[in-house]
Amino acid sequence: MADAEPAKAKPRPIIRLGLFLISHSFIVSVACCAAGVFALLLLPVLAKNTYISENALMPGSASPMLSNDDVSRARMFVNKVVSFDFKTDSSSIGIQDLVAQHITDLGGEVNFHKFLPQANKFNPLHFFSSPDQGIAQENYTYSSYGINTVGFIRAPRGDGKEAIVLVTPYNSVKTSMGEALSLGIAHSIFSLLTRVTWLAKDIIWLAADSQHGEYAAVAAWLREYHTPSFDGSGRSLFESNASPTTGRKRPNDFLRAGTMAAALVIKVTDGSEIAERDVLNLYAEASNGQMPNLDLINVVNYLAVNGQRLRVKVEKLGSLLDSWWLRSLAELFHKLGTVARSLNPQWNFGISVAEYIEGTATLASSLYNQALGVPTGPHGVFRDYQVDAITMEISAKRVANYKNRPNELLLQGGRLVEGVIRSVNNLLEKFHQSFFLYLLTSPNKFVSVGVYMIPFALLVAPLPMVAASLFADSTRRISGMETKVASSPASSDIPAISFRSWRWLHAAKTVFIVHFWGAIVTLLPHFLSLVQDSPPLTNLLSWIILSAFTLLILQAILGSSLSLLHMNRTQVMEWTLLKSVTIAAACTGLCIMSVINFATAELGALMLVPMCLMARPLMLDAKAKTLKSFIRAACNVVLIFLVFPPVAYYLWKGALVGLDNARVGDFWNWVESLWTWNSATYIYMCMVHLPCWVLCVHTLVYPC
Amino acid sequence: MDSTMNSTFVLCFLLFSTYLSYGVASSSSATTTMHTNNWAVLVCTSRFWFNYRHMANTLSLYRTVKRLGIPDERIILMLADDMACNTRNKYPAQVFNNENHRLNLYGDNVEVDYRGYEVTVENFLRVLTGRHETAVPRSKRLLSDEGSHILLYMTGHGGDEFLKFQDSEELQSHDLADAVKQMKEKRRFKELLIMVDTCQAATLFSQLQSPGVLTIGSSMKGENSYSHHLDADVGVSVIDRFTFYTLAFFERVNMYDNASLGSLFSSYNPNTLMSTAYYRTDLYPRRLEEVPVTNFFGSVMEMIHTDSAYKAFAGKDSKKSTLEMPLRQSSQDLRRTLASSDVQYPTSDTNVEDPQDSCPFTNFWISMHDKMNKVEGLDSWVNYGLFFMFPMVAMSSWISS
Repeated sequence: MADAEPAKAKPRPIIRLGLFLISHSFIVSVACCAAGVFALLLLPVLAKNTYISENALMPGSASPMLSNDDVSRARMFVNKVVSFDFKTDSSSIGIQDLVAQHITDLGGEVNFHKFLPQANKFNPLHFFSSPDQGIAQENYTYSSYGINTVGFIRAPRGDGKEAIVLVTPYNSVKTSMGEALSLGIAHSIFSLLTRVTWLAKDIIWLAADSQHGEYAAVAAWLREYHTPSFDGSGRSLFESNASPTTGRKRPNDFLRAGTMAAALVIKVTDGSEIAERDVLNLYAEASNGQMPNLDLINVVNYLAVNGQRLRVKVEKLGSLLDSWWLRSLAELFHKLGTVARSLNPQWNFGISVAEYIEGTATLASSLYNQALGVPTGPHGVFRDYQVDAITMEISAKRVANYKNRPNELLLQGGRLVEGVIRSVNNLLEKFHQSFFLYLLTSPNKFVSVGVYMIPFALLVAPLPMVAASLFADSTRRISGMETKVASSPASSDIPAISFRSWRWLHAAKTVFIVHFWGAIVTLLPHFLSLVQDSPPLTNLLSWIILSAFTLLILQAILGSSLSLLHMNRTQVMEWTLLKSVTIAAACTGLCIMSVINFATAELGALMLVPMCLMARPLMLDAKAKTLKSFIRAACNVVLIFLVFPPVAYYLWKGALVGLDNARVGDFWNWVESLWTWNSATYIYMCMVHLPCWVLCVHTLVYPC
Repeated sequence: MDSTMNSTFVLCFLLFSTYLSYGVASSSSATTTMHTNNWAVLVCTSRFWFNYRHMANTLSLYRTVKRLGIPDERIILMLADDMACNTRNKYPAQVFNNENHRLNLYGDNVEVDYRGYEVTVENFLRVLTGRHETAVPRSKRLLSDEGSHILLYMTGHGGDEFLKFQDSEELQSHDLADAVKQMKEKRRFKELLIMVDTCQAATLFSQLQSPGVLTIGSSMKGENSYSHHLDADVGVSVIDRFTFYTLAFFERVNMYDNASLGSLFSSYNPNTLMSTAYYRTDLYPRRLEEVPVTNFFGSVMEMIHTDSAYKAFAGKDSKKSTLEMPLRQSSQDLRRTLASSDVQYPTSDTNVEDPQDSCPFTNFWISMHDKMNKVEGLDSWVNYGLFFMFPMVAMSSWISS
């Protein structure tokens, strides 16, 4: 024995630390979760000021060249668009010809792109693949064609390898004043840029016909631009070389102009009268939480604020602005900041109350939009082709009194766009210097990936620890039980040991079956939408019923372990093993999701982690009959109820938007929108969130 | 006996020719100490449109040294990019260094020796050390000699002990010091002025050891060099502060002025420069106040009045000779007299000899000349000599046959 003592080597410090953490997993997990939530709330304080990272951009270094001449020409064009009589033009495609005529008059090349609106269909097999060339449906009448008008300026001394895209969506059937003005801004830019000598990249003006939606029009054009579709004879599917009204032949069919360096979507909307300055709203979120390079936002923000005296806004959640808890939190942070500064003047992380509230509201909106994975405008399509794009919505109070001072808005908007184009024109490579992974807390403040990973890491960190602790716990208990059993019959000693260590496989099997069921649930709506065309409520109910039914079938076929009846005595303690494997699976799911869409993973972790960590059979708590166990059981039930996806949806909606006109069917509509936009959030919800919820329910009702 | 005489004659001739060649060789080595020509190597090391100002810097300096008299064939101009033809240039084929656009730096008479991707650290070092491939034309070589004053001007993006070339490589202070050392050993310069306009320019000189090198940089270690102003029409900054104030100094200087390097160096004001111009003089033997800027930035040769045409070979003699004053003489020109540039360097291998012994051939020739002058009727002597040639030729051919 004396020899055996020193032979047992002392484990290495990292292992000892791991063991220590595992043995104190309860305290550690509570501390980590609290720290994770706290760090999330701290993000607006940690936000940094944006800066232009790419040297080549040099925004604002050139004085704007847009003259009143260009603007008055654009104004005449706007007047023509506004007074365009849609009634007399039966085919309702005359306005495209008007735009095309003006482009040609200015000296640009022009072509029409005729497209069919594509029904957004969920196709599970094409989920993560690149945008495919859609299949045109046959049963569309002529009038349902959308026709984009595309103007080109070739850079006089450029190599034609790169291009900058301007997008002005407008409804060709009924053009509003704002749309006409956005066309006017693009016209003034076009009129200037046909004359300048400094273009290094071609300019494309896409006047997107938004009668079938802005997104669809831009998506159709981009799809054709990047993946030309050919029919059997080798000719392009869309005969776009003829002017739609006159049938006049154009020399080229679909025109192209090199790689896109950046795209700007220009919109003009009617702003509120109260704002003393015109407001520029920026929308940047593309599908699955992708963002354009931060430099693009910086350039637009810099030029709008310093050049054109606009007030730049990014979306924020209005409901948060006047919530009492946020205000008190802001005051707390403010006080902490002042205390810290009084201790050491170098610590300058104080933040004013208003700033913190604004920052949090913007951050929440940024997080929410990214988590949703649905693009916030036509700029989202460009991101699918790795083009940085942004929507600039000029919300002008002058749209109302456009009649009085028409030139001002056009000049301001035109000069802003000109500045951005000139800056992007200076680029030598595509945007790559600045961040792609960030959250905005204001137009000129951001939280970079290195900082916003911390709350998520803190939230997820307890999961593997608790899983390991539970596993160790259950193996210890079972081995203790089996030594009792095995002490009498010595013959069964060997198989008992070998089976003991593989016991977790039962739990793993259960978890696997539930996750497999999750995959089936993911696919069910696809078949539902194939079969019938019914109201959302019916769809939702049939989805839920079908899902439950599938779970029962799967249980019958594959899993005897799921059935609660066939339990023997040794399986009583298996709920810890089941919980352990569930937590491990949830951790894996969350980590994978954080790579695909961080914001989804972050919000998902906020819901999943407490539920997974709390889960404990209700029977055990019922047996204990103490206050503590009662509270624990109540917490469990409440958490389980709150985290059930539809309930969670309504809660979020209530918190963020308000539950004024919420209906039960809304959840179905929301899910439908997720899959039509190919959002990975949908996959996450069905394949990580829902199975974890079911497994936690399973743990709760475990018989003991 | 005839053959013996013949061989003696040949031997005499050989001896004489050896003596003659020795005399020539020794006289040429004696000229190391004299400033005979000027060269300029002007380098812009950075690419890309937003570095427009670096090309404008270099072209402005090119224009200045040309105006002050260095001919194009003695200027090696290296431009890493072509801003004039950049598609982003609002004024095609023109480069300006001021927003008033009065002066197009990229006129007709600009000879760029190394352009675009030719401007590499390797080519730069090859130019300095003269180790070219055989196919490189003379116009792209720095054909300086031991009487050359070389101006080396470099601009671009620098850092602590390096200067970035293009976007991919860098010249380190060690490389520069090594190249200068090689140049010194190969007697490729007499004096070298290195002028650098980059961030932390002073750090580039830290490794230099060769004598005769004077350096000035636009900024100290840890300082940035800033651009002077932005041209809102072209959309870029068009010139750097250090170069701008250097040019402002030279605008007041013409070829015949005697502004000294000291006055140039003291004209840099750290407040307007937003950095501290640093110059290192410990390797340089002369006092800066005594060196006219045209010794480097121009090509004004000293006119030396000598007694005879061949005496000019004897470099030491020029010390005693007076200078031919330029047309616009002024009292300041006295400084120029002091500034005669023949100073002995320790590495120079010429021995300090008595002026009379310095060139045997010259002395011999001078004495012959004096004797000749004394003889009356030089023409008849020559005629007799010619007549005497015929029998000599006839006799030698008869002996050898």
